[in-house]
Amino acid sequence: MATVQEIEIPVADPNDPYKIPAAMPSSADRAPRSFDMSAFAVPTRKQEDFRFTPVDRMSEFFVPFDASGTTEIAVSDMSGKKLDAEDVEVVREAMGERYSGKVSKPNDRPSAVQWNACSEAVIVHVKRSMTKPVLVKITGTNMVMDALHIVLHVDDDVHANIVVQHSGSVNLAEGVEINTGARSVVSTTFIQEWDAGSKHVGNHRIRVGKEASLRHAVVTLGGDVVRIRMDQDFGGDHGDLNMLGIYFVDPGEHIEHRTMVVHNEPDCRSRVVYKGALSGKGAHSTWVGNALIEPTAPGTDSYELNRNLVLTPGAIADSEPNLEIENGNIVGAGHASSVGRFDDEELFYLQSRGISEQEARKLVVRGFFAELIEEIGVEEISGHLMDAIDRRLARSETSATARN
Amino acid sequence: MHTLEIKDLYASVETKEGRKQILKGVNLTVNSGETHAIMGPNGSGKSTLAYTLAGHPKYEVESGQALLDGEDLLLMTPDERAKAGLFLAMQYPVEVPGVSMTNFLRTAKTEVDGKAPAIRTWTKELTEAMKRLKMDSKFATRSVNEGFSGGEKKRAEVLQLELLRPKFAILDETDSGLDVDALRIVSEGVNRAKEKDNFGILMVTHYTRILKYIKPDIVHVFADGHFVKTGGPELADELEERGYDEYMPEGSTESALA
Repeated sequence: MATVQEIEIPVADPNDPYKIPAAMPSSADRAPRSFDMSAFAVPTRKQEDFRFTPVDRMSEFFVPFDASGTTEIAVSDMSGKKLDAEDVEVVREAMGERYSGKVSKPNDRPSAVQWNACSEAVIVHVKRSMTKPVLVKITGTNMVMDALHIVLHVDDDVHANIVVQHSGSVNLAEGVEINTGARSVVSTTFIQEWDAGSKHVGNHRIRVGKEASLRHAVVTLGGDVVRIRMDQDFGGDHGDLNMLGIYFVDPGEHIEHRTMVVHNEPDCRSRVVYKGALSGKGAHSTWVGNALIEPTAPGTDSYELNRNLVLTPGAIADSEPNLEIENGNIVGAGHASSVGRFDDEELFYLQSRGISEQEARKLVVRGFFAELIEEIGVEEISGHLMDAIDRRLARSETSATARN
Repeated sequence: MHTLEIKDLYASVETKEGRKQILKGVNLTVNSGETHAIMGPNGSGKSTLAYTLAGHPKYEVESGQALLDGEDLLLMTPDERAKAGLFLAMQYPVEVPGVSMTNFLRTAKTEVDGKAPAIRTWTKELTEAMKRLKMDSKFATRSVNEGFSGGEKKRAEVLQLELLRPKFAILDETDSGLDVDALRIVSEGVNRAKEKDNFGILMVTHYTRILKYIKPDIVHVFADGHFVKTGGPELADELEERGYDEYMPEGSTESALA
């Protein structure tokens, strides 16, 4: 039997009420972090973290497996040309050797299984500021279970822009660590354009350096089951985190994003904006946004927002923002969430001006996402994303036509 | 010269109490350049006629035709009707969040004309049309009708009428919710567009005040789902004086229906 530890409750000084952190239970105390998968129970829908997840459709990610090693990974510039190793060094290392396993630890069963299924990690180490984006291209070649571990490591004071593009067919468990140096300015964009039937269970562990700024964008445009959990914390004060998400869900697909922002350092800022469009019967999206403001993080400024646009009936969007505030001395902590419908009246209005139904949907979806895509900023990326969304819309049209 | 010919039109709507017939044998011919005022008591089916012609999915056509130069609009989708040359200025224009007015207008113009407008002349045309309707240039960047006041929405409808240049325009209670100044600006916009394009107008209205600004050639009384009387502009004055009571079904008054 475990010994019961006496808890001393500190008494606040009325002249400086924020000096002593509040004594209260924190969700962080209960959340296990371990490289050992036995630290985590096999997920069921009774567990809070898997409440919205169709666990039976991804049960193969909960038990140890041999990774096929067939998923291709290539690092280059946007046009596919080799990078200068003085700028970006790409190395493979044994799990946990130098750069991997440094940003927190696995935080759920599938991420621990993934860690143990990998024999090596791919390290993308950005050493010098670059004006052009780095492209990490991940291509699935078959549906045999595979696991990858990628570390995006950016040195102090470096400005970098990294695009991670996923395509092809996979059953992939993917671990990503993002470790940004002090005063760095980093943009990472993850694009999922998987072929139909693909499954992707991802776990991002993110640390934003002291006085650093990170823009972390996730764009999920395809896959049978995609579940990406992103846990973040700050490596020092005055960090700035901007998380953006775009998703497009077709009939029968489950697309889930969980952003878990942790304010553990003073005077940091975080913004989370996720937007999704859903189309058709059985299309299911889940966004869960947690923001935990720890006693050690006075001056926190945090906000999270999720908007969903249901294009046709039968789709389900789950949206759950959570805030856990353990520090009264903050600038702000807010959230907003909505699920809206592209309704018949809007469609009729656009049609009555000569715009066809397909064109009307395109107009509305492009408008819905345009603001976020603009915010991603870099032309090469935003242009690519608008193209990708257009392709995605074209695909919905084709499948809609095929069903009729 | 174009002709819009409505022939023996019957249409119904799904209500909580079951399917209800609203249009009961509508017959009307409108030629280019003519302005027809369609007046009638509340609940007579005037707006239903407007929406049925434009193809709103709520209304089901039971029988009849609406021929625009011989082509039956009722067999077309709403966007095809717009391309054929029909325009409906709505009483309650719909908000479309996320789609900017600029993008919307440009897309609509491209669809209706079958080709994208030349950028330089288009921008100039849009800016000038907005200026004439006393619309702030910031409207162009806002989402379609989102957060617009009632008067702003009506101006935006007339802006579209000017830019899309239809063969026939249906104005559904365009005067409702407008103060005197806004009514004048909106009416002037309609008159300007008509002067340029000589389209035919079906002006659905309950009150006569808009007729002081947009002069009708022909005035119809619409009651219980069809036209019951047709006359010249003097008929409007008569309605102004005597109301719609004599056109109401036996035993009811308009105030009882409203």
